[in-house]
Amino acid sequence: MKQKHTLTYFISSFIVMILFCVTVNAQNDSIVSTANDSTKIKLKYGLRVGGDIGKLLRSFVDDEYSGFEVIADYRLKKRLYIAGEIGFEEKTNTTDYLNTITKGTYLKGGIDYNMYENWLNMDNMIYSGFRVGASSFNHTLNSFQVYSTNQYWEPQFTSTSPQNFDGLTAIWVELILGIKAELFNNLFLGLNVQLKGLITETEPDNFQNIYIPGFNKTFDSSRIGVGYSYTLSYRIPLYKKYK
Amino acid sequence: MKYLKILVIPLFLLGILSISCERDDICPESTPTTPSLIIDFFDVSNQEDSKNIFGLLVGGIGQESALPGYSVVTTANLVLPLKTDENTTQYALIQNYSINDNGTPEDPSDDFQEGNQDIITIKYSREQVYVSRACGYKTIFKNVTLTIEPDSDNWIKAKQSINDNQSVEDETETHFNLFH
Repeated sequence: MKQKHTLTYFISSFIVMILFCVTVNAQNDSIVSTANDSTKIKLKYGLRVGGDIGKLLRSFVDDEYSGFEVIADYRLKKRLYIAGEIGFEEKTNTTDYLNTITKGTYLKGGIDYNMYENWLNMDNMIYSGFRVGASSFNHTLNSFQVYSTNQYWEPQFTSTSPQNFDGLTAIWVELILGIKAELFNNLFLGLNVQLKGLITETEPDNFQNIYIPGFNKTFDSSRIGVGYSYTLSYRIPLYKKYK
Repeated sequence: MKYLKILVIPLFLLGILSISCERDDICPESTPTTPSLIIDFFDVSNQEDSKNIFGLLVGGIGQESALPGYSVVTTANLVLPLKTDENTTQYALIQNYSINDNGTPEDPSDDFQEGNQDIITIKYSREQVYVSRACGYKTIFKNVTLTIEPDSDNWIKAKQSINDNQSVEDETETHFNLFH
């Protein structure tokens, strides 16, 4: 339980850090835009593909998690990208009274809008994005112990025969805030945070979607979810165009 | 479009705020979980009137200690937890309970209990119902029957369930009336 709060705190502070990043850079771009007016620079257009290295790393470190995500975006205009993600996740959730495994795949599609005015031929992004996500998943309830506030009769009933909840789906929308920096020619390192709003979900009978692949942990009192990604991606350059 | 970031940032802050206020990991006291059986006591000669039992001690059959809160009390109302891993729970209700020290207050070995003991047997079928991620599952009890085990001197004279086919699904109302 403590650990989860620490994680929430970590994520919150991480997000706050991102926010500060944006404000600092936002001041930069107002200076740059005046200096940049007269230059004519060719912009690279292409398909950028990559993976979520955060999820990969977490799969190795966290016993209760395995997952991977492939990301791709395609530059449509100077600032506008069409973007999507596809991934799978397997997450074990253990509390004092429940032990469940959620497995599933998800697909997200939408746009990224670069808010950052680059210096000369640099090609970095500070972007906000919008996605629609869909997931198909199942839960396995491995075991549970009945909750009772009165512990006069002990132990409480414990079920150890696994139950399956199959064929579940969920659809959500996402708001993304992130950065992508070009480390080497065409190689990008990125990180982003996601704020999600659940639109529909199939409710399992006598259970609840406590985790949705792609959407992450759900909350009892709201339809909001959060997420983050560390991405490494490579741009396959297709053509160049003047601004 | 430059104003986009001005729009995006408050939205993110709002989302984060709403999540940090969340306490999903602790099962709140106010959430109804596994219910207990509620019994009210009435006067057998005047069945409208609630009637206290004096010097009542309640103990589960098979338990060494009395049910907490019912170790020699005067009450007309019982809240009895039921076993969630078996379909039967038995309680001994001892009226006018006292310990007779047999004239030797220093020596507890020859002490004996005084009072009129009646045993009630509660039989039921169980069902597990999902509550929330923090509370997990609760047990509700269906087809609950209560029998007063007959002995030579029953102080509980009669019983009555509130509904036909009584179930114990919550603690908002009484499930059984007993008359004495």
